[in-house]
Amino acid sequence: MRVLYIDTSSDYLYSGIIIDDKLVSSIKRKYEKDLSKEALPKIIELFDKADITPKDLDKIIVVNGPGSFTGIRIGITIAKTIAWALNINITPISGLTAMAISCNTNTYKMPLIDARRGYVYGGIYDKDNNKVIEDSHIELKELLDKSKELGEVTVITNNDLDINIKKESYDPDILKIVKHFEDSNGINPHLVNPIYLKKTEAEEKAGL
Amino acid sequence: MKDVYILGIESSCDETSCSIVKNGTVELATSTSSQIDIHENFGGVVPEIASREHVKNITLVIEDCLKKANMKIEDVTAIAITYGPGLIGSLLVGMQAAKTLSYIYNKPLVPVHHIAGHIYANSLVEELKFPLIALVVSGGHTELIKMTDHFNFEKLGGTLDDAIGECYDKVARVMGLPYPGGPKLDKLSKEGKPTYKLPIPLNDDSYNFSFSGLKSAVINLNHNEEQKGNDINKADLAASFQKVAVTSIVSKTKKALKDYNINNLIVAGGVAANSILRDALTDMCNENNIHLSIPPLKYCTDNAAMIASAGYYAYKLGRRADYHLNSLSTTALN
Repeated sequence: MRVLYIDTSSDYLYSGIIIDDKLVSSIKRKYEKDLSKEALPKIIELFDKADITPKDLDKIIVVNGPGSFTGIRIGITIAKTIAWALNINITPISGLTAMAISCNTNTYKMPLIDARRGYVYGGIYDKDNNKVIEDSHIELKELLDKSKELGEVTVITNNDLDINIKKESYDPDILKIVKHFEDSNGINPHLVNPIYLKKTEAEEKAGL
Repeated sequence: MKDVYILGIESSCDETSCSIVKNGTVELATSTSSQIDIHENFGGVVPEIASREHVKNITLVIEDCLKKANMKIEDVTAIAITYGPGLIGSLLVGMQAAKTLSYIYNKPLVPVHHIAGHIYANSLVEELKFPLIALVVSGGHTELIKMTDHFNFEKLGGTLDDAIGECYDKVARVMGLPYPGGPKLDKLSKEGKPTYKLPIPLNDDSYNFSFSGLKSAVINLNHNEEQKGNDINKADLAASFQKVAVTSIVSKTKKALKDYNINNLIVAGGVAANSILRDALTDMCNENNIHLSIPPLKYCTDNAAMIASAGYYAYKLGRRADYHLNSLSTTALN
């Protein structure tokens, strides 16, 4: 099984190639504004390092959100185009789920991405990475209140959020994430689209 | 000589478009997903919504275009992509798709400036004859450009404030016409007479345009008449506005042709679809023995056929980009 993993939902490019349960090449690097310029060349480097071509892939796993709208679209467009061209499927996954999977703890897990103005993209997962509270665009305070009813919770975030419970930073365990979804057959690439969890301001104003 | 097939991708605003053009002049197939119905709800293009739609549609339009042309990407010579100017979030969706296709199929990647695309829309009708003056009129541009050869652009002048298409849409909105208002204003003006007095914009020796004063004059006139409780004759106001705007464009264009002693005029961009402008330019060219080329309506608005056509000439000139090519929201015509 040869899998390409792509996550561009933050300022970082997280990507890797897994061949038969081994992570053979990977990158975790911050790009910010240069992501649209650098993402594809860096993914090509991963193929070269793994000594395979896209035609050898069986599947692509791509993070479809939440996070940076522009960032998500970069990774998804690359994934859709490769998968469409090679006639393979894509398994779109939540970046928050990827954060939960990467965190080894026996507590509940609360992956958070800052969505500004007191809001976050967040959800709550149990120690086996099952969703307890669905991913959503939610006021941080409200999600923290919900978490209090559950017991001990570990927050996973790379953002500077004002929280006084146990916090871990996010460092994706790409192999573990990919293995978590090994039974997923994925879907047709045309059907893969970002999950923003938030309407555009124009839609909110228009009440749509 | 071997035929050259260029697959073009355009996503700079609210159309996701893919096209295959043979030898720069023959359109084999185009597939375009337009978002006009969506943005109509907001009275204009909402950039974030446009970007969201591009992601949904990008692989669909590529597939549809290839199906229509009965071709595979393997059969294509090179891939041309609009790198700018335009809405950055929109541009980069087409860019990622084009770069990825170029990599997977090992096809040269040819960067195309959006305005070059509009100009080369004319070569889908007839080959460009040099030297020529190109008048680019669209929602984002009002420019006079001199060309002495392929991809040899000299900007003579442009708008100092609003683009002509932007001015049309804003005036149409004040008059209560739904988005996109330009074409509706054009239609309405035919039922009216130019009875309202409006200022002639930037009537000077340059090749520049200015439309914000004209726009303000229409808004003020509309407002003042409303205050007085007078009914505005919308058709007359539309006709008055069109007359002034079109006269300004035609007179500056005529001046450029005359000053540089050039006998070829090509018109490009969405506002090239405007009937009053077409008529006025046709009359001016007839009177002055100028050869005029205006592309058919389907090539005036944003489309990938024009990008593939420009891409052919750029390809012939050896223009290539690597996988680091980035989208640019603003960039000079090149």
